[in-house]
Amino acid sequence: MGTDTKGHVLNIQHFSTNDGPGIRTTVFLKGCSLRCKWCSNPESIQKKPELGYNAGKCIGKDECGLCMPECPETAIFTVDSENEVKINWDLCTNCGKCVSVCPSNALFEFGKWMTVEEVLQEVEQDSSFYRESGGGITISGGECMLQPEFVSELLAEAHQRGINTAIETAFNVPWSYAEKVLPHVDLVLHDHKLSDPERHKKWCGADNKLIRANQEKAYQTFPDKKFIARTPVMPGVNDDEENIRSVLSFILPYKNVVDYELLPYFRYGETKYGFLGRKYELADFDPPTNESLVKLRAIIDEAFDRKDYQNKK
Amino acid sequence: MSNQKKRIALTFGSGFVPGLNAVIEGVVLAGHKLGWEIIGIYDGFDGLLSPENYPEGGTITLESELVHGLSGGSGCILGTSARMDPFHCRSVGNDNDVQEIDRSDELIAMLKKLQVDAIIAVANNQSMSVLWKLSKKGLHVICIPKSAENDFAATQLSFGFNSSLSFTSSLLDTAFQAARSSSKIGVVEVLGEHAGWLALQAGMAVCADSILIPEIPYDIKKVAAQIKNKKQQHRHYGLVVVAEGARSISEMEPEKRSAAADSLKASLSPLATGAESSHVIDSSGSVSTQVAKNLQRLTDTDTSLLVLSKLSLGGTPTVVDRQLGLAYGASAIRALEMEQRNVLVVFQPPELKFISMAEAINQFRTVPANSEFIRITRSLGISLGD
Repeated sequence: MGTDTKGHVLNIQHFSTNDGPGIRTTVFLKGCSLRCKWCSNPESIQKKPELGYNAGKCIGKDECGLCMPECPETAIFTVDSENEVKINWDLCTNCGKCVSVCPSNALFEFGKWMTVEEVLQEVEQDSSFYRESGGGITISGGECMLQPEFVSELLAEAHQRGINTAIETAFNVPWSYAEKVLPHVDLVLHDHKLSDPERHKKWCGADNKLIRANQEKAYQTFPDKKFIARTPVMPGVNDDEENIRSVLSFILPYKNVVDYELLPYFRYGETKYGFLGRKYELADFDPPTNESLVKLRAIIDEAFDRKDYQNKK
Repeated sequence: MSNQKKRIALTFGSGFVPGLNAVIEGVVLAGHKLGWEIIGIYDGFDGLLSPENYPEGGTITLESELVHGLSGGSGCILGTSARMDPFHCRSVGNDNDVQEIDRSDELIAMLKKLQVDAIIAVANNQSMSVLWKLSKKGLHVICIPKSAENDFAATQLSFGFNSSLSFTSSLLDTAFQAARSSSKIGVVEVLGEHAGWLALQAGMAVCADSILIPEIPYDIKKVAAQIKNKKQQHRHYGLVVVAEGARSISEMEPEKRSAAADSLKASLSPLATGAESSHVIDSSGSVSTQVAKNLQRLTDTDTSLLVLSKLSLGGTPTVVDRQLGLAYGASAIRALEMEQRNVLVVFQPPELKFISMAEAINQFRTVPANSEFIRITRSLGISLGD
């Protein structure tokens, strides 16, 4: 326990400006309890370490080929006409042996175990920016609350060191996890992806009944915390007025839900799907149009009784 | 040879190709001749692993009357699954936690409970790896290769290829006529991630101007030169056939390959499995889009893009595929009669033989540089982009 507690960290991103107020350092954790089809961080989904492969960096079998004999599962192979190796993802067990011999980092591992202290040492490098910009640390994922011990200790220690804390969560975790983490959070950025449970299941892998119950309980149990609701806007999925109004009617009774933001979908994650040997399911989805966003944001501004606030942000 | 009565389960994984019903008829007729019972599992292994989706049961006893005359029909009466992978079954846990869990032991126990002696599985290159893993856990497997692209190294001719070739040629003919009528360059993308057989043979059949296949990196300027040459001869239209795995010479240089091309070339990871993650929108088309854009720029002629993708898999199987489907099915039963275990049925003319699945994994049948098809294509004046 304490600052030696380890968490499975995917990445630490410095100078984030979209994950809470000011300039922030975002710590992405590995492991998620949903499978949203539009996920832009597919490498964060699995709870275990995973092999990544960037074929563009592969030197090829003719000049290198070190990885092939190293693989105990014969999961690395080549096709006659091509020089770079291919991965048979069905045979790969993520043992990591190929990663250790790859000289060009074409083969690499997503995720590493870090202690609270190790994370904070990296985070504190940016502390002068936090002070000037009102920023801090944001824990994201995956679903960060799937590692409740690590996150609660990390955020408690961050508070001790005077760092503002935020999390990004979908709330699809047992309430006991949320109860452990939330006392140490200043700002809770949380998703409202789809209101209808069946449609939530179709697009995100599980329904939203637990999510909604947790959200209500969180709003009620922690009246002094700030919550910002967010919807990743997917054209043809959840960009209809009905969905936005439904979210509004859910959050408006709670004064600690201080804002509702729309996050337009972008195809950020597409390359990473390739690195993991997965096909990007939404390759033909276009980002939402500006017109539709303006219209939906106007509905939110009206509900929050302010004029043209979000569209000017 | 074994005379013991057997109970065999038949299943189909990883997508549709023409001729699947012929395999069913072949397995059932040959099995019944030996007095064996054949049961079919719906939708890969879903019929067993997700029985809640099958109110009338996830398996069916395949009687002779049911399969009689089936070989000429399109589709597959047992359905297919996007991925046949009991090692990564998506499920929702007690905490509403979505996860991919290993249900392979459960599947093997279910088959044992059904008193199934062996399974005959029709699989592509990817699902054969999964079947091999199941065989290592003790399941008795006979695998039938399925590839519309004809890219299994171990077999000369996969069922489904001949029909796809026929459908693709027919669609290319239509595209060529449309290009002629509108004075455009038709750019048509066809199946073929690792091997260019379908593009090469169909493109040759319709005498396309250029055929781009994964085995021969193309130089878009040379493709454009071919089109411009035809323009000088007052032919203001053209047809370029692009296999989905085709790559330009510049892509061959490390760090210059596009992310989209990489993602297309990656085979599917097991973690993309499950009904909820079936690939609702395919990302095919990125290669031909690039080709069409660049050709338009380099030739100053409008291009018209058509991505055939799986469109070329629909339709009634050809007689060749009906025969092959029946033959692969009957041979799988013969393999079991000969007490073969964990083998792949392969066509090495003039015989259908059996080879170890382990030997066939990761082996793709690509177009060799000295192929007669390549030689003939070049002699017809068709550019291969090199």
